[in-house]
Amino acid sequence: MKKRILAMLLTGVMAATLLTGCGSSTDTVGTDTETETEEPAEGSGDDAVDAAAEGPQTLKVWCWDPTYNINALNVAADIYREEHPNFELDVEEIDSESISAKLATASTSGELDTLPDIILFDDTGFQKNVISYPEIFTDLTDYGFNYEEFSPGKVGMSSVDGRNYGIPFDSGTAIACYRTDILEQAGYTIDDFTDITWEDWIEKAKHVLDVTGCPLLNGLSCYNQITIMLQSAGGSFFNEDGTANLTDNAVLKKTIELYTEMVEAGVYTEETGWDTYIGGMNTGRIAGAMNGCWIMSSIRSAEDQSGKWQITNLPSLDGIEGATNYSSQGGSSWAITTSCENPELAVDFFKSTFGGSTALYDEILSTGAISTWLPASNGEKYTVPDEFFSEQPVFAMITAYSGNVPECYVGTYFQNAMMDVANAVTEIIYSGTDMDSALSAAQDTLTFEMSQQ
Amino acid sequence: MNKTAKRLLRRAPKNILLSMISLFCVFPLFWVIVAATNKSVDILRGTLVPGGYLLENWKTLVSTYAIGPALLNSVKYSVVTTFVSLVVSSIAGYGFEIYHDKHKDHVFAGLMLTMMIPFTATMIPLYQMYSKLHLLDTTLGFILPSISSVFLIMLFRQNSRAFPMEIVEAARIDGENELGIFFKMYVPTMKATYAAGMTITFMNAWNNYMWAKLIMSDDTTQTFPMLVANMTSGHYIDYGQLMLAVLISTLPTVIVFFALQRSFVEGMTGAVKG
Amino acid sequence: MKKASVKMRQNMTGWVFVTPAVVLLIVLSIIPLVKAFLLSLQTGRGSNLTWAGLSNYVRMLQDPTFKQTIITTFEYMVFSVPIMIILGIILAVLLNDQMLKLKGIYRTCIFLPAAVSLVASAVIFRSLFAMDGFVNTVLVGMGILDTPYNFLGHPTSARIIIIIMRIWRWLGYQMIFFLAGLQNIDASMYEAAKIDGANKWQSFWRITLPMLKPMILFTTVMAINSALQVYDESVNLTNGGPGFSSMSLAHYVYNTSFVNVPNFGYSCAMGMLILLMAAIITFVQMKVGDKRE
Repeated sequence: MKKRILAMLLTGVMAATLLTGCGSSTDTVGTDTETETEEPAEGSGDDAVDAAAEGPQTLKVWCWDPTYNINALNVAADIYREEHPNFELDVEEIDSESISAKLATASTSGELDTLPDIILFDDTGFQKNVISYPEIFTDLTDYGFNYEEFSPGKVGMSSVDGRNYGIPFDSGTAIACYRTDILEQAGYTIDDFTDITWEDWIEKAKHVLDVTGCPLLNGLSCYNQITIMLQSAGGSFFNEDGTANLTDNAVLKKTIELYTEMVEAGVYTEETGWDTYIGGMNTGRIAGAMNGCWIMSSIRSAEDQSGKWQITNLPSLDGIEGATNYSSQGGSSWAITTSCENPELAVDFFKSTFGGSTALYDEILSTGAISTWLPASNGEKYTVPDEFFSEQPVFAMITAYSGNVPECYVGTYFQNAMMDVANAVTEIIYSGTDMDSALSAAQDTLTFEMSQQ
Repeated sequence: MNKTAKRLLRRAPKNILLSMISLFCVFPLFWVIVAATNKSVDILRGTLVPGGYLLENWKTLVSTYAIGPALLNSVKYSVVTTFVSLVVSSIAGYGFEIYHDKHKDHVFAGLMLTMMIPFTATMIPLYQMYSKLHLLDTTLGFILPSISSVFLIMLFRQNSRAFPMEIVEAARIDGENELGIFFKMYVPTMKATYAAGMTITFMNAWNNYMWAKLIMSDDTTQTFPMLVANMTSGHYIDYGQLMLAVLISTLPTVIVFFALQRSFVEGMTGAVKG
Repeated sequence: MKKASVKMRQNMTGWVFVTPAVVLLIVLSIIPLVKAFLLSLQTGRGSNLTWAGLSNYVRMLQDPTFKQTIITTFEYMVFSVPIMIILGIILAVLLNDQMLKLKGIYRTCIFLPAAVSLVASAVIFRSLFAMDGFVNTVLVGMGILDTPYNFLGHPTSARIIIIIMRIWRWLGYQMIFFLAGLQNIDASMYEAAKIDGANKWQSFWRITLPMLKPMILFTTVMAINSALQVYDESVNLTNGGPGFSSMSLAHYVYNTSFVNVPNFGYSCAMGMLILLMAAIITFVQMKVGDKRE
């Protein structure tokens, strides 16, 4: 009797397999009739431009923020269209997590034609995606894009083994922003928070908390904060050879030690959602923010706080060799997929806009998107004092900071490492585990995750 | 007078318990309604008083997002899913119970297993199949996995136990064919179950986020919950606009519940006695 | 002879009725499941996969994050399912009273949360339990707390809030099933019991509960199932944090595929384990509960 059921199920499965089989065979016919995949053009210059003019003139893009990167793209498209009236951009709003899911499914199924022509990636995940799905990324090294006009650290974020797979977009240079009116109540000015160390910062932050009841910082769990602190001294979760390095890592240990102190003193509030994180600064519950400079657009959304904010550099890690007051967090780069039928057009579009138009960067500056294309900082708007930030020339300041950001090794397993470290930090703060054993457990987990892949 | 007072007193604990639980359930929704009428900053300050900002929130919402098409898509997917799924699943549930034998019981147990398959596990093979069959970004693609709902089959199978076999036997003697019995006797009798099934299927289809997010990549096919989710990931979150969108995304399911509630209750009282 | 053929024909009709549903489920669930199983026997980064036998299953035994998330998932199940079922039955019985005024309003209120999408519920709960959210404002205002408590930032309270949100969202849903079950109980049974001198308490134990048994079985299977697959709450409400402390197994499975360096084979293997656990629990319940008299 059981056999009969099994037989029936099998018949069903076979029938269904036949069905799908039919589907895939018609599919092959379908793809054959479509355009042949184009080989990347050798060299650059006129050839590429000619090639660009021939293929399809519409590019489909996946990115995720209508007030930020989508807006930047649309502005860029308008600029490009002045010279190329047939050019069309089809932008689709998809959050970055869904992009990962779609990449994974498209890649494992080999159905790359479901992908758009251009995808935006967070810098911290770029290399991971290139290594995991090499067949999706167009190697842009020989397309003649003007990489030399971008900051080398930024270009490195989207390069693997010396080959370029990305077009740099926005800067993730980290800034510290404070509510000067709240600092004032505690007797401080922005200068008291400039060029200081973290221990000094914690003492002052405790005083601000005592006087005003406001923690100076909050953050989405510890993720961004730890990255910023770690990278401010050129630290990494990995050794140069890519192996996990959580236990013998003086920079990381100092970072966690300080971070734990901040949380326990109540001067840093851990949030669980992006909305409550942003909400903290917008309502005045939190007296500051520390993140990539793109955080300014979130700060700015509380219009009633105009003139009450100032920015400065970060505190540095105490007693650490190579510690600086500068770091970066976030920032993203564009990738051109292999399913793009006209990669020359895509490259030309980027070259004329994100890699060649100060007008574009001036236009999108108000949304907080700061250029990594070096000539853009000559744009007139970069030096204008910003009313919201108490007349500071914030963009010029950030551009100056970005030159001091130490180079860091991010690593393919950055996301895994970040999660494991976050878990260790939780153990240390909430379960009272000592740092060495928590980190050694995290090291084991990370090494485990990196094995057997 | 005295009697009613006594009765009221006796019922008090019951009513207090029910009111408290109702309050617990409704409060968060009340908060959403209040939030939808306030400015972003006031919402974050925790106001509990309805404000006069509803119209402004509406204007920003409509100007930033294409809510019309997303709403229309959601309605289309949900209505089609609900209808098709009810027909296919109820007939199967009926089949499994009324004609039950060992084999069908075993097949049913097998189906129960499929209900336990976590979506995350089959997501990749399913997407692969979809991509090959060109079902991505299509209505058919959206509804296909929900048509045969083990949950609905189970619901109809369980409830069919209360469906008196004598009716079936009598109809058979009258010469009615099996499909006729299903449509003429069973469907009208099980109105209550259909109302419940409809409410639940519609709700699930409307709120189906993960699946939609995976297969719908075109702006023209995106659903309303996808739009709401997109709104929480930006650099700037306008709470007023977000809460209004949350409210709008909740309305259709609430309306369906209200609309079906009556027939649900009516159907219930008449259901078994037929 | 003729009777037998009628029986056969009816039997065939039964098969015809169930076929469309069964075929759809085979194509859309069982085939992908088989493929996922094959994937669980492979390993590699991204789409470069090689056959690896059972190594992914062995890997689970060594994976500390896996252990942590499976314990959390069981906590969600053990605490949320019984509360939902018991409270659901109590509410249904209370609301089934014909004499009760405001019945419809109570029922609607309690059911409403089920209509709210998970994305929206998470937004709502995160705002309510935020540092400056409603709950903290009230507790500080009443003097219960001195300073606001970071509910979602502490491992234990974050897990409790996930459980509360699950109960909030699914209680009314469960209740509706029990209400439906109660409606199908013939009122004459209670009258007979009353004549026999049974009080309300006795008739609840002797009539209501036994008659509700199929419904209880049904809802428990559903509830356990959904508890084992908890995903949205973990992702949207706490993002699994702090650390991994509120992360559910399904969330970890998702992360293994789509957030961390993708390891589809391992991810599928963990999916298989969720399936296995659900199957065992359901099987035991069916054996215990679904006996036809």
